Amino acid sequence: MVIYLIKRLFAVVPIILFAIFLMFVLVRLSPVDPAQAYLAASNIHPTEELLAEKRQEFGLDRPLIVQYFQTVADIVRFDFGNSYVTNTPVWQEITTRLPATLQLALSSILVAIIVSVPLGFLSAVYKNSWLDHFSRLLSYLGASIPQFWLGYVLIFFFAVKLDLFPVEGRGTWQHFVLPSITLSLALIAIYTRLLRASVLEELEEAYVLYGRTRGLKEKGIMAKHVLRISISPMLTGLGMNLGKLLTGTIIVEQVFSWPGFGRFFIEAIFNRDIPVIQSYVVLAACLFIVCNLIVDIIQLYLDPRISREGRAQF
Amino acid sequence: MKIHNSKKNLFLALAACAALALSACSDDNAAGSADAESDNPNSITMSWPRDIGPMNPHVYNPSQLITQSMIYEPLVSYEEGGEVKPHLAESWTVSEDGREYTFKLREGVKFTDGSSLTSQVVKKNFDAVLANKNSHSWLGVINVLDKIEVVDELTFKMVLTQAYYPALQDLAVVRPVRMLGEAGFPEDGDTSKGITEPVGTGPWVLDEYKTDEYAVFKRNPDYWGESPELEEVTIKIIPDAETRVLAFEKGELDLIYGEGVVSMDSFNYLKETGEYTTDLSDPVATRTMLVNSTSEKLSDLNVRLALHHGFDKQAMVEGITLGLEEKADSILSSNFPYAQEDIEAIEYDVEKAASYLDEAGWKLESGGAIREKDGQPLELELIYDKTDPIQKAMAETLQAEWSAIGVKLNIAGLELTEQIERRKAGNFDLDFWYNYGAPYDPHSMINVVAEDGWGVAEAHSNLPMKTELDEQVREALASTDETKRQELYGTILTTLQEQSVFIPISYMKKTVAYQNNIESFEFPANRDEHPFNDISVSK
Repeated sequence: MVIYLIKRLFAVVPIILFAIFLMFVLVRLSPVDPAQAYLAASNIHPTEELLAEKRQEFGLDRPLIVQYFQTVADIVRFDFGNSYVTNTPVWQEITTRLPATLQLALSSILVAIIVSVPLGFLSAVYKNSWLDHFSRLLSYLGASIPQFWLGYVLIFFFAVKLDLFPVEGRGTWQHFVLPSITLSLALIAIYTRLLRASVLEELEEAYVLYGRTRGLKEKGIMAKHVLRISISPMLTGLGMNLGKLLTGTIIVEQVFSWPGFGRFFIEAIFNRDIPVIQSYVVLAACLFIVCNLIVDIIQLYLDPRISREGRAQF
Repeated sequence: MKIHNSKKNLFLALAACAALALSACSDDNAAGSADAESDNPNSITMSWPRDIGPMNPHVYNPSQLITQSMIYEPLVSYEEGGEVKPHLAESWTVSEDGREYTFKLREGVKFTDGSSLTSQVVKKNFDAVLANKNSHSWLGVINVLDKIEVVDELTFKMVLTQAYYPALQDLAVVRPVRMLGEAGFPEDGDTSKGITEPVGTGPWVLDEYKTDEYAVFKRNPDYWGESPELEEVTIKIIPDAETRVLAFEKGELDLIYGEGVVSMDSFNYLKETGEYTTDLSDPVATRTMLVNSTSEKLSDLNVRLALHHGFDKQAMVEGITLGLEEKADSILSSNFPYAQEDIEAIEYDVEKAASYLDEAGWKLESGGAIREKDGQPLELELIYDKTDPIQKAMAETLQAEWSAIGVKLNIAGLELTEQIERRKAGNFDLDFWYNYGAPYDPHSMINVVAEDGWGVAEAHSNLPMKTELDEQVREALASTDETKRQELYGTILTTLQEQSVFIPISYMKKTVAYQNNIESFEFPANRDEHPFNDISVSK
C-alpha cells in the first residue's frame, strides 16, 4: 500500500510538468500580448515605451525557453508570483477565494451523493417502477440542461417569485441551496445512472443467488454486498468529477455572484494575467491527480476484487 | 484484521479532512453578505459588476472609478455643459501665457484621518503621479505638467511646460489627480505599488468591505461640503447582468446604475413592468466608425461618403439598441462644450451612395452583386470586439446594408486587445471607435486626431488637409482665447464630418432603474462620478 502510494505520488511530477508546459504553450499561442492586455485593462494608453517597460517587468522580453524554465523553477519553489492586475501575490489571491469555491463544490457533491445513491440503488431494485421512471427523467434533465440557465430558472422561481432563498451572495445556509442544486444536478444525472447500471449488473451475479439460497435476508444482501460493490464505478466517476467540479464552479459562481476563485480566473483570462492563469492550471492539475488518487484508495478498500498488487503495476 | 483497521483509519481520516474543510469554510463567513443588507432605512443597496479594488486614487484597474470618486475629491469639478467649478480649490488664476495656474485651496477641509488639506499634501499627490508619468501620459495635463510649487499653506502653483487650455477639465477627472491624505501614503511616497489606507476628503468613507462580495460606505461625518441625504450606501458585487436584474426585482437592490450594466432587453423589460422608475442620461459618448483613409479603397472621399450615406442609421440604432441609444449625426453631441449646431448631417440616401461609388469608378456589372474597378472587387473589412454584442449586431447589419449598394463587407470579431493592436498598426479598413465622454471631451478627442500612437491620427493621415488639421488641433489646445478656440473647434469638427473619416452612429447613454422609494436621482455630469450625493429615500 505504502509503495503503491509512493509510486503514485512520483507519477504526479511528470503530469504536472506536462500541464505547465501545455499551459505555457497555449498562453503564448494566443495573439494577445499580456503587456498590451494589462494596459488595456488598466485604461492606460499603450505607448511603445510603456509596453516595452511592462514586458520587461513581467519578464516577457526574455527568450521563451528561459521564461519556461523560470516558470517551472518558480512553481517548484511554490512561488506563484504577483498578479499583473492586482499586484498582490497570487497565492494570497487563491487562498482568499479558494475556500468559497471548495465549499460550494463540497456541498454540491454532498447533495449529489445524498440524492443519487438511494435513487440509483432503488431505481435498479424497483426497475420500471415510477421511481425508476422518475430517476430516468431526472438524469435526462440533469444531463441536458445548461447550468447557467438552470441557475436563472431556480433564482427566478425560488428566490424572486417564492422568496425562499437569496438571489446571490454567500453567508448563510440559504445561500448554498440554489447554487448547490444547480451544480449537483448534472452530477446526480451521471451518478444515478452509473449506480443503477452497476446494481442491475450485480443482481445478476451468482453470489446474490447464493446468498438468497443460503437464506440471507434480502436487505442484508443488498446493503452489505450489492451496494458496496456496485458503488465502485460511481466512486470513480466521483473522483474524476471532483476536480472537474472545482473548475466547473466558474459558471455557477458567475450566476450566483459566489465570491470564489472561478470568477477571479475568468477575469484573469480576459486580462491575460499569466501568473494567475498558470497557478490555476497547476492547482487544477494537482486537484485532479489528488482526487483520482483518493478515489483509487477508497476503491481498494471497497472492492476486494481489485488487488492491490495488480494496481501497483499500473 | 490489521489491514481492515488501517483501511478504517484511512477512511476516518478522509472523513475528518472533509469535515474540517467544510467547517473551515463556514467559519470565515460568519459575518456573511446577509449582514450587508442594512436595517438602516436611510440607505440604499446597489450592485457593481466588479470588486471595488484597493481604491488607490493614483492607479487604474482594479480600482473602480465609482468608488474612487466617493472617497477622493478633485481640485475642480466638472458640471453640466462642461462648466468647471471650484471644489477643493476655492479659486484660481491663470497666467497670461497660460503656463501657470495658481490655486487657492478651500479652508478647513479635513481628510478622514483628521489631517488638513494643505498645499504640501497636494504637491505630494502630484509628485507621486509624476513619478510614474509614463502611466498617465494619456491625460493631457500630466503630459505638460512640469512641477507643483508650494506658495503658502493653502496656495500652490501648477507650472506647465506649455499652454494647455483643458488643464482644468483634466483636473476634474477621477484618476489619477484626486487627493489622497498623508496617512494613505506608503513610506517612500510611491503610491504606484499601493497605498496604506484609503484616506480622502470625500463625502463617503469605507466602513466594511469583503473582497468580491460587498462594500459598505458611510456618510463622512466631518465632510466640509453639503452632506449627502443618505447615511449609507452598500455596493454588492454582482458580475452577471441577468442576476443583477433578478436581485433588483426581488428587492435586494434599490438601484441599477451605469453603462452596460443591464442588457437592453432587461432594461426595457423593467421599464415596461411600470413598477420601477427607469431613466436614460444625456449622451455620455459617441459610438463611431473609424474609417481608415490610408486603406487603398477608402482613400477616395467618394467611397467614404457612399458608406456614410449607405445605411439607415435610425433603423439600425433603434433595432439594435432598442432605443436606448440615440442616432448620432455629429461626432460630438450637443451637451458637450464646443459642439457645433450647424454641422450638416449626412443622411441615409441609397441613390446618393450609389452615385458616389459610380463617380469613384466602382461600377456594378449587370447581374453582379459587388462593384468592381479595374477588375478588383469593392471588398472591405470591418473589425469589431467579439465580446461586444452591439458591435457584432451592428457589423452584421452594415454587412447587409452595404451589400445593397454593391459593397462586400467582411467582418472580423477580435479580442479587444487585438482590435487595439490592429488599429494602432493601421491594419484595418473600418473599426468601431468611441470618444471619451465628460470631462475628457472634446479636447481628448481632437488630441488623438492629431497625435500619433492611438491609431486615429494614423488612419486620418491620408487626408489632403491633414497638416492643417493637426495645426488647428494644436492651436486649439494651446489657445487662451475662447472665441478663437470656438472657431477652431468648428473647423476641425466640420472637416472630420465632411471627410467622413469618422462615421458617427449613435450617442451612448447611461441607464438607471430604481425602486420607487428612491427620490431625486440625478445623473452626474462627469461620466465617472458616483450619483449618491443627490439621492434621498422616502421613509
